[in-house]
Amino acid sequence: MGKHRRLFRWKWIVFLFILILVITASIATVQAAPGEAMGMSPLTFFIVFLLATTVMGIFAVLAGVGGGVVFTPIMMGFTPIDSYIIRTTGIFIAMAGALVAARPFLRRGIANVRLLFYGAVPYAVCACIGALLAGYIKATMGIKGEAFVRGALGVIVLGIASLFIFFGKRVEYPDVKEVDSFTERLALAMGYWEESLGKVINYKLARAHIGGILFCGVGLISGLFGLGAGWAMVPVFNLVMLAPLKVAATCSKVMIGIGDTAAVWPYIMGGGMFPLFGVPCMIGLIVGTLIGARIMLMIKAGFIRWLIIIVMIGAGVRLLMKAIQMWP
Amino acid sequence: MPEEKGPKPLLSGVIYGECVYWIALIGMLIGIIGMVLYFFGGKHFFDAETVISGLLSGKSATVIWQEAAGRESLHGHWYLHQLSYSDAIAMLGIGICCLSAVVGVWGAFLGMVIKKERPYFYWIFALILGILLILAAMGKISLHH
Repeated sequence: MGKHRRLFRWKWIVFLFILILVITASIATVQAAPGEAMGMSPLTFFIVFLLATTVMGIFAVLAGVGGGVVFTPIMMGFTPIDSYIIRTTGIFIAMAGALVAARPFLRRGIANVRLLFYGAVPYAVCACIGALLAGYIKATMGIKGEAFVRGALGVIVLGIASLFIFFGKRVEYPDVKEVDSFTERLALAMGYWEESLGKVINYKLARAHIGGILFCGVGLISGLFGLGAGWAMVPVFNLVMLAPLKVAATCSKVMIGIGDTAAVWPYIMGGGMFPLFGVPCMIGLIVGTLIGARIMLMIKAGFIRWLIIIVMIGAGVRLLMKAIQMWP
Repeated sequence: MPEEKGPKPLLSGVIYGECVYWIALIGMLIGIIGMVLYFFGGKHFFDAETVISGLLSGKSATVIWQEAAGRESLHGHWYLHQLSYSDAIAMLGIGICCLSAVVGVWGAFLGMVIKKERPYFYWIFALILGILLILAAMGKISLHH
């Protein structure tokens, strides 16, 4: 009984916190007049974004998504900051989180290195193209480009939210009945030690050609919109190429680190990175992810997942509204 | 030790993981040191108030550069020439963090070659990635070239 009450109280605290965050962000968006720093000192600015991204990191982990996919739409939907700067920071923090997380997955051999290098080539090339496209849109299309980016991201974010609602099903150990000759030649079959079962899981993969094509699309979206791409990569690995869920999740994390590195440089070269904004967001999201991982062990996160879905739908709708307002 | 159970991980993967982890951590640490110096009165390359007002009023990166640094956006690794400024040190940290995967992929490629990891076409994949990442880090894959 006491446990249920604590959980119920905790849910409401979380809900109120998110609500306050969203309202504050909305008010800030409305109140920010051109040329006004809203009375914020650099330290206040740093702390505000540090806290906001820490909260985002916590909820992202609890909802089972990467911080990068939550950061960009929320920042673009609820703050007045220029989309190019947000996307630069978004892709940077998605990459930074993935880089730090990669080590244990590779040391334990859970992430399949061959699968990584096979998938990372189309992903990184297309992420680079996406980043260049983002720079081109910024340089040539002006306000129309900004409206286009926000509108398209709004549609994508709504798509991601519906993906979570309707196609959230994952298969822990997919059954591979037949391996096609292309995948066979890639020699992607491997094994890893599954701690929870206390045995080695040997697995095969399939449909690598389709996976390769899909990684092109995922990379393009990630590079163009400055999003982390775990939301799309895990289903590609797990449901298309039939990798075990753990392998899919770890490979997706590691591959974001490689692919987004290729995409982040064109953004940085385009002058989109400001340390005063980038550093607190990076620290906040990584700290939030670490805190979230610890909280995850203590609570049931189903409620948080729905909360994130609601926030993402809100961000998507707001992005679409902004795009319509901005369209000349 | 869980690492010792089950199949041995490929050396290329282990090298990549170690490189990116440590280099990214060092980069983050330098970034944080840069920001600490920034708040403790270190010299600024960007005027902080102007950056904040520019960000919060939705100005583009180009305009913020002009107003806060008093010049056109410096494409490339501008911070390497401005390391007496605290925010350039923070930017150096960000740069090092972004460089970690470049080193990691080249390290993985070397690991593949040293261990003669098969199939050999993965060497080509690693090489393609290594070249792509190094070109991107050098600023060759950019609209300004």
